[in-house]
Amino acid sequence: MSIFEYNGSAIVAMAGKECVAIGSDLRFGVQLQTLATDYKKVYKIHDQLFIGLAGLGTDAETLSQRFAFKHNLYKLREERDIKPSAFGQLVSATLYERRFGPYFCQPVIAGLEPDGSPYLCGMDSIGAQETAKDFMVAGTATDSLLGICESLWRPDLGPEELFETLSQALLSGQDRDCLAGWGAVVYVITKDKVIARTLKGRMD
Amino acid sequence: MAAALPVRASVPAAGQAVKQHATWSPYDDNGGTVVAVAGDDYCVVAASTRMSTGYSILTRNKSKILQLNPKCVIASAGMQADQETLHKVLHSRHVTYQFNHRKPMACPAMAQLLSNTLYYKRFFPYYTFNLCAGLDDEGRGAVYTYDAIGSYERVGYGCQGNGKELVQPVLDNQLKAASPLALPPQQWLSSLPLEQAVDLVKGAFVSAGERDIYTGDDVEILIITKDCIKTDRLELKRD
Amino acid sequence: METAQQGGFSFDLCKRNEFFAAKGVQHPGFTKTGTTIAGLIFKDGVVLGADTRSTAGSTVADKNCEKIHFIAPNIYCCGAGTAADTENVTGMVASQLELHRYATGTQSRVVTAMTLLKGHLFKYQGHVSAALVLGGVDFRGPHLFTVYPHGSTDSLPFATMGSGSLNAMAVFEAGFKDDMSREEAMALVARAIRSGVMNDLGSGSNVDLCIITKDGVEYLRNHEYLQTKTYERQFPQKFASGSVPVVRERVYDIRRAVQVVEGEPMEMEVS
Repeated sequence: MSIFEYNGSAIVAMAGKECVAIGSDLRFGVQLQTLATDYKKVYKIHDQLFIGLAGLGTDAETLSQRFAFKHNLYKLREERDIKPSAFGQLVSATLYERRFGPYFCQPVIAGLEPDGSPYLCGMDSIGAQETAKDFMVAGTATDSLLGICESLWRPDLGPEELFETLSQALLSGQDRDCLAGWGAVVYVITKDKVIARTLKGRMD
Repeated sequence: MAAALPVRASVPAAGQAVKQHATWSPYDDNGGTVVAVAGDDYCVVAASTRMSTGYSILTRNKSKILQLNPKCVIASAGMQADQETLHKVLHSRHVTYQFNHRKPMACPAMAQLLSNTLYYKRFFPYYTFNLCAGLDDEGRGAVYTYDAIGSYERVGYGCQGNGKELVQPVLDNQLKAASPLALPPQQWLSSLPLEQAVDLVKGAFVSAGERDIYTGDDVEILIITKDCIKTDRLELKRD
Repeated sequence: METAQQGGFSFDLCKRNEFFAAKGVQHPGFTKTGTTIAGLIFKDGVVLGADTRSTAGSTVADKNCEKIHFIAPNIYCCGAGTAADTENVTGMVASQLELHRYATGTQSRVVTAMTLLKGHLFKYQGHVSAALVLGGVDFRGPHLFTVYPHGSTDSLPFATMGSGSLNAMAVFEAGFKDDMSREEAMALVARAIRSGVMNDLGSGSNVDLCIITKDGVEYLRNHEYLQTKTYERQFPQKFASGSVPVVRERVYDIRRAVQVVEGEPMEMEVS
């Protein structure tokens, strides 16, 4: 077994026209046993920036706290919120620091840059950044999610279309993964609001 | 002569080679993806034509589909040598069947035969991932999926091979695999019109070709209807 | 306790991860760049080339990544191997050279970059797995080096690296001449990369080129864009609003309550 498959997770982020969306499944399990069904894997950094952390649950929580801490320090120093692209570098550096003893986490970052353009980026567990214009996936269902995103995603989706597309992709993708599922949570980020929706999914 | 040879010590002396485990494997994965979708009165079967090993492409044009008769085909991904052997065995069994019964084998019967053939090699399996597809006795589309040792199931659509993880949710999403637990029970057969089913299969292969390094070059598509088997071809990326 | 970063790697999770490994859980695979990278020296400089696919196992992680990294205004470097390592090792050398330029006010030399790279890689005994093709032009003329993950280096007129290196090298061996023109050199490198893209499954997508001469750099991102989709869906899937079951919805209005208006700087009295 791979350590990434210990708790199970599915995370997708997609870019639209002046909006981005990021979603995760809600299952938290230990191998095949489901322990909780309301476990979100997406964390808010600030109003325009979210990070999804797939992989080992304990490391995801530790990292989310470290990122919150680092962002607080950044705000004290700079008196502003961090830009998504800069935050991408910060996450990458944090992970690469542990090149030879990594956190078992794959982050997906979604946010809006100050000029309103969408920013998406994903990484492996040692911080090899990969920026995408379309979508980014992570977790135990990566192949399923990649396949469905590849055929559903279209350029310039509006916030509502983006939500439907991402949700369909996430639900269909995670249905084929026994380590992820039990509904989902999706955040749609636009210039002036964030819409958080909880979805119903298969409960098995 | 044997007596003249010295008895070999059980512990090898320094410099003498210790018996190593064989690093050679009888199996190789030659990649590829096969997909089949059943409809009310048709069946679409498709397979990528790339054959590869490791990071190399062996050929860009290898058919993975065996046409047994106008109502039944078998598509196999996995190891080419095993796939070829399996197809040869099934073909010969099919010829024998026709001599004995004076008719081609029906699709459900061929599905059972494939299962038996695979289970016959339970402890040294054929390294193939198979789909049996065609029209059943009522003329409806039929797809059977298998594991490597013959466990099988009739489904409305199926995919096997390297790109199956990428293709399966795409088919699920459009053909809506209703949960067997959902009430009222729903029909498993897709009711898509034929062109839409072909379009779906082509779209799924293009998506798989984008992300799976073992799926590419071409897709061979067979459209089975009660009148004939029509062949179509779609080009994929060649990188 | 979070302390100020001193730089360098942190090994504090190694013990724990070893414990995981002892329990029988596997360490994860990292994103690799299967890669075809190549470079050659022509009449007035160096041409570097790379494909743009990065892989995680048998799936493509990124279809259009950048493998030609900036080192200095006159030096660039193609990277193959573990993606994070190539990215960071080139970044570290780039920053060291920038500081060195500030301190000395002179142009960076290609050998300096090469020495810094091999020093780092040798120190980590191959565990930092970056295979590089380094090229640039300094006051001594054009230079091309290959740097292996263990820290050994070669100085060559034409070089290839990565899983598609044999495909690319075959093209170079057949077509390389001394003192080629810029156009000839670009065409040959592009053809070498293309042969990797087409025939090696670890390499794919597009061709990037970077031409470095004493007069400047031309970085041609997606010089050859090979990868348009071969089929467009005739019945594309569109979802009506409400196609997924939503159980809860919350909308956060994040328009700022306070608008900060930048003021004019105050005029100072000068008496």
